[in-house]
Amino acid sequence: MTFARASLYGFVVLALVSWGYILAATDGGAADLVSPKTWSNAGNFSRQLIGVDSPTRPAYLEVDRWLVTGRLALDTLAMSVLAIVLTGVAVLPTFLSGARNVSNGDLGGAPSRLGTLFYHGVRLAFTLTRAVPELVWAMVIVFFLSPGILPGAVALAVHNYGVVGRLSAEVVENLDPGPAKALRSAGASNLQMLIYSIFPQALPHFLTYLLYRWEVIIRTTVVVGFVSAGGLGREFRLSLSYFHYTDLALLIMWYLILVIAVDLLSAWLRRLVTGKG
Amino acid sequence: MSMNKSDSDHLLVATGISKSFGRVEALAPLNMTISQGERVALAGPSGSGKTTLLYLLAGIIQPDAGELLLAGQNLARQRPGKEKAGLVGLIHQQYDLVPHLPVLHNVLAGRLGQWSLFRSMISLVWPQDRQVAEEALAQMGIADKIHERTSHLSGGEQQRVAIARLMVQGSRVILADEPVSSLDPVRADDMLEILTALAGGSGRALVASIHSPRLMRKHFTRVIGLREGHLEFDIPAAEVTDRVFERLYDLDQSEAAVWGGGN
Amino acid sequence: MGGRELKLLESRRLLTLLLAGVFLWSLSTVDWRGPIIHTGGLAAFLDFLASLFPPELSPGFLGLALSASWQTLAYAVAGITLAVLIGFPLGVIASGSVSGSIRTGLGLAVAVRLILAAMRSIHELVWAVLFVAAFGLSSLTVILALALPYSGILGRIYGELFNQVPEGPLRALRASGASPFRVLLYGRLPMALPDMLGYTFYRLECAIRSAAIMSFVGIRGLGYEIQLSLHDLLFDQVWTLLLFMVGMVVLVDMWSSRVRRSLVS
Repeated sequence: MTFARASLYGFVVLALVSWGYILAATDGGAADLVSPKTWSNAGNFSRQLIGVDSPTRPAYLEVDRWLVTGRLALDTLAMSVLAIVLTGVAVLPTFLSGARNVSNGDLGGAPSRLGTLFYHGVRLAFTLTRAVPELVWAMVIVFFLSPGILPGAVALAVHNYGVVGRLSAEVVENLDPGPAKALRSAGASNLQMLIYSIFPQALPHFLTYLLYRWEVIIRTTVVVGFVSAGGLGREFRLSLSYFHYTDLALLIMWYLILVIAVDLLSAWLRRLVTGKG
Repeated sequence: MSMNKSDSDHLLVATGISKSFGRVEALAPLNMTISQGERVALAGPSGSGKTTLLYLLAGIIQPDAGELLLAGQNLARQRPGKEKAGLVGLIHQQYDLVPHLPVLHNVLAGRLGQWSLFRSMISLVWPQDRQVAEEALAQMGIADKIHERTSHLSGGEQQRVAIARLMVQGSRVILADEPVSSLDPVRADDMLEILTALAGGSGRALVASIHSPRLMRKHFTRVIGLREGHLEFDIPAAEVTDRVFERLYDLDQSEAAVWGGGN
Repeated sequence: MGGRELKLLESRRLLTLLLAGVFLWSLSTVDWRGPIIHTGGLAAFLDFLASLFPPELSPGFLGLALSASWQTLAYAVAGITLAVLIGFPLGVIASGSVSGSIRTGLGLAVAVRLILAAMRSIHELVWAVLFVAAFGLSSLTVILALALPYSGILGRIYGELFNQVPEGPLRALRASGASPFRVLLYGRLPMALPDMLGYTFYRLECAIRSAAIMSFVGIRGLGYEIQLSLHDLLFDQVWTLLLFMVGMVVLVDMWSSRVRRSLVS
């Protein structure tokens, strides 16, 4: 308890210093936030978003605008699916060697130098990819890949590789070793043990994490699209810079529809995976 | 391979095997011989070394000292695989099946020692030797559960799956850790009859940890009593009287306090 | 039983096919006719990898990277503190344990849960882009944008934790005549606090990443410097900044996992 308590106090101090720094050393903007001008600007922005003063009909009342942007929403959905599949395909062959109890032979079998090497390599890859946010990966990746759906999906997949990989490896480390050891006494080799026991035990957890991350990914597709120029994100940015605010409102509606749809779908699939309900 | 009569009769020969965990002596040096056709019950309060002895016989843990010969072969020098799996098989107390696999694959896991890696991977998609598993499950009376997820089965059904795996494995020495601990008397009799049938036939034997003198007399040929890692007695099952038994389980006060929490 | 099980198995097989179809469709949306890799993209990629050996290590740049790291950390910490301040009361209401009347308590809880879900459904950077368009760019607008989705997450988790505490002690408090709010204060809160603390520390690590990408709307910090260096094609500087990012995340991760471990024991 003492370390947690010290950490709590430490965090409070850190918070005070951070707020002090932000209010003093940067343009905090506290004065702006209370000025009537800011609030009238904000009011204007929201009126423009709804399109009350606009001479033309707001975009979100035009069926053809819905169809055109719907195409982009589909692209965005495709980006998220591609990202989650790429993540899964990358994690699947590596997460077992990222688990300590597999590499050091706790689950049976002898510890090998190659296993240890793999363990550290995979763990390092998890840490590096996870620590850097999707948007930064996207900024880097657009230097190599042509703009569109793919670089966005790759950027999302690189970050989520680290997230899902680490979680899955931790699941393996906490697995009940009983079934694997029982297989050993039934004459199974190391790899057979992994295939028949560890892998099937970890698979539902792995799929659950993947589906959870899909919910995060769909929210982030738009952000990644700002730089990778695919799907809703690109149009979002353009509408904002051309002051097409009712278009922006329409795009936000599509964004919310996607988020809600994926949340529901993911929850349903997760129930199927865990076999409950 | 030339063996004289007495060697082939002795399926299992342990000379001075012992095991300690840290500073706790789980099993003091022990000599014992099990001949084919024998059904041996291990008795003793929990912590007496029954499970340790079973794990040693199964080759899951290695003895600190002594030698263990199974059908004339040194168990410690054998790598897991076909031969060892064919010699000895263990039903764990918790059954230790893979909960997420269908029953079929948990049963076929008894074949892993004989299968190549490739074949065992193929089997997850196109089950190999399916008939063997079907027959084993039919004998266990749970043929209809073959496609169910193992975690959806009751404890008793899971135990039958574990035994079906052992049938498919075809081990000569069947070891069972507390096989009737969670069963009512009628089912306990059924279970021991199944195990007896499984370990029947030439060249086979059964070793199981059991707590009830009635079951010992009814289903076993011999009883080995253990206490605090030491051999207390090794007698024919017919000689197990309730008195002998009470003495084995009789605890003095200080020990009773220790056991009270554990059971 | 067996029949139902088979049906489930079959429906799973069907679903697998369906998902494979969805994946193929997602592949078809990628424009494969044009070049996947830029002209010169491969060379740029190799150049990028080569720039790691070594990254930019001049004292001046390390100083810059350090101060950028601090800026990002400050925004992350500020965002999380604001998120705790907003998320805590919302979590209390969402747990449905504030009001004596079950009906108003439950009604309020449902409403607040919807609000929390709405806050969570929009990414912090999208909030930031909208807020900056509405209020203009300032530290506070960006911190508010950062805090919104985090409040949504923390509020939901806090609410769930309040409801997961064991009933026994609460019953005892109720029996002694404590109002629901007192039960919360003396029962639910102390029991849920360790888990709340652990989870909040875990979220701090995520907030560092979120703070870094606020560079997109013009906030200084690691993301900002990475953008500048990328713009000038100074990949060795990009690597230095990425490594600082990794280092900071690893440190916070170690801190938060130690906190969680010490809370468990």
